[in-house]
Amino acid sequence: MSAVTATIAEGEMDARTKPAVPDEGARLGFRLTLPAQILVLFISAFPLLMQLYISVTDWSPLSGVGWWNAWEMWNSFANYTDLAADTRFWSALQRTAIVMLVCVPAEFLLGLALATLFADDFPGKRVFYSILLMPMMVVPAVAGYMFFMLFQSGGPVNDILARIIGTPVTIAWLSDPTLALIAVMIADIWQWTPLMFLILLAGLVGVPEDQMKAATLLGANPWQRFTTIVLPKMKTIIIIALAIRVIENFKIFDTLYIMTGGGPGVATETISVYIYKVTTQDLIWGYVAAIALAILIVLSIVAVYAMKRMAKAREVPA
Amino acid sequence: MSAIHLKNLTKSFGDFAALKTMDLEIADGEFMALLGPSGCGKSTTMNMIAGMEEPTSGKILFGERDMAGVPMGRRGVGFVFQNYAIFTHMSVRQNLAYGPRMRGAAKAEIDRRVCAIAEMLQLTPLLDRKADRLSVNILQRVAIGRSAIMEPAIFLLDEPLSNVDAAFRAVMRTELKQLQRQFRQTMVYVTHDQLEAMTMADRIAVMDHGVLQQVGTPLEVYNNPANVFVARFIGAPGMNLLRGRPAESDRGLVVDLGPLGVTPPLPDGLASTVRAMRGDVLYGFRPEQVTLAERGLSMRVSFVERIGARTIVHLGEGEGAVKAVFENDVGLSVGQTAVVAPPASSVRVFDATTGVSVKAG
Repeated sequence: MSAVTATIAEGEMDARTKPAVPDEGARLGFRLTLPAQILVLFISAFPLLMQLYISVTDWSPLSGVGWWNAWEMWNSFANYTDLAADTRFWSALQRTAIVMLVCVPAEFLLGLALATLFADDFPGKRVFYSILLMPMMVVPAVAGYMFFMLFQSGGPVNDILARIIGTPVTIAWLSDPTLALIAVMIADIWQWTPLMFLILLAGLVGVPEDQMKAATLLGANPWQRFTTIVLPKMKTIIIIALAIRVIENFKIFDTLYIMTGGGPGVATETISVYIYKVTTQDLIWGYVAAIALAILIVLSIVAVYAMKRMAKAREVPA
Repeated sequence: MSAIHLKNLTKSFGDFAALKTMDLEIADGEFMALLGPSGCGKSTTMNMIAGMEEPTSGKILFGERDMAGVPMGRRGVGFVFQNYAIFTHMSVRQNLAYGPRMRGAAKAEIDRRVCAIAEMLQLTPLLDRKADRLSVNILQRVAIGRSAIMEPAIFLLDEPLSNVDAAFRAVMRTELKQLQRQFRQTMVYVTHDQLEAMTMADRIAVMDHGVLQQVGTPLEVYNNPANVFVARFIGAPGMNLLRGRPAESDRGLVVDLGPLGVTPPLPDGLASTVRAMRGDVLYGFRPEQVTLAERGLSMRVSFVERIGARTIVHLGEGEGAVKAVFENDVGLSVGQTAVVAPPASSVRVFDATTGVSVKAG
């Protein structure tokens, strides 16, 4: 009898204290994550604010004052108005867009084709799979050096072309403005198709096999199955893959810089290369901050748009 | 409309023979259930009929037409998958329209057929709902409708009720049976649930270990199992089988069950065939047919299961265990001794070595 009463009493206690528990848990959670939150604040919010601050000044590391005193060089929004009129900036942006419009679709289509191939079994699949993923694991700087060697006028690329057509080939890949851009794009496609392939393969194997079989039984041919079942099912993952590559490709730098240094002239100067040059050669950091901030805003818009599309893809039936 | 004829069908996966041999004729418009425990080869058989798998040897005929080499999209077979395989990214309408759309039917024609099939399956108010948020019975109807719109001569259903809870299963069974009457197609239904097979099928093909054990109407299979496997598999609980030796007595031929005593005499027809046999037999009778009697097998009650209206009484132990099902509580409790006897007409005898049923002469 007393045991029963005790249980009831305990039950009542539980009922009374329950609403307080999540609150207490949340407070404890907050305290426990506080150090991490402060760290995050410092590595994301602080640099952003600092950048915003510097971007409205003429501050440079050579100006003799600490960055916190940059307000002395306040130039009202001159950096931003300069940026709007900076033809080198706009042509770098245009070049970056061209690289992106060629590389990302190429990587996507190649990746999708490879993923479709690898979704089925074939002899030697594991070996090819490992080989295929290797470019992704090469350090971009090393890849840049590799392609720099490959595209020399006396290099292997010309050698192979010569063997194919039978006459000696001496194309100066990296010193011709157009060819240099093509070479740089080939390097990017080589290095990043595997990532696209990997993401798309993950999406492809996630397509339910029985739905594919059902489609076949209903008379759909392979192409119809691909367009009506596979693609709609992969929509979300395709958007993720494209968003990752668009953002990464926008920042294309290491491989490219080692291959051409942005040259010949400014023929392969993308946004990142331009920023790098302004930072290390011209040392106008206030201006650099303004450029970087402008780009951050552009990329954020791309990311938000991609996420919106993704949410929509999940809601609306195809 | 189409009959199905399986001729010496076999299927091996490497060294494993999933289907050892299969000869089966399914009549036009018949509802045939392939029944058996997991791994008995029933799904393999179904997949071969659908064309998802190639037979290792043997033939599949639809009517007179040999199906070898005919791809699955061209067999005119409707297939309802275990989990229905509804295209979750489409609406109900798009699911139903999928087949005709892939065959390039005209828009107006598709609309007309979708409307007709939706009306028949009572899916009209749900046509524009997205297919990933539907309940199972609606999914089942969409799955059937999606296949039925192609007007297949043959419908294959692969354990469509196995994902459904018990209460709902009864509803779905009735619905399926009604649908089959509506469409009048040949239906092949794979299941491991005898209740489904018994209630819906015109005939049942019982399979085990890649071998067809018996084909017959539900009652035939229940009343006259061809062998020990079918006897044990069909019925819940399965048939009681007691090993013993035939012996003559003054009342006629009985089976000497050793420590359990002797059985009541076998009916004359059965007795004459058993007399001609040698060796031990298995004395079989349905738990449902056991009655408490004056004379019979006297056994100790080891366990009593009360499942609502019915009571299952477990008698004896080990080899000689017997289950008896009574429609009402007979008032037996553990430790008591009960005298039970099956009516002579319901007794079945099996050859103890081959397991094959002994027919009355």
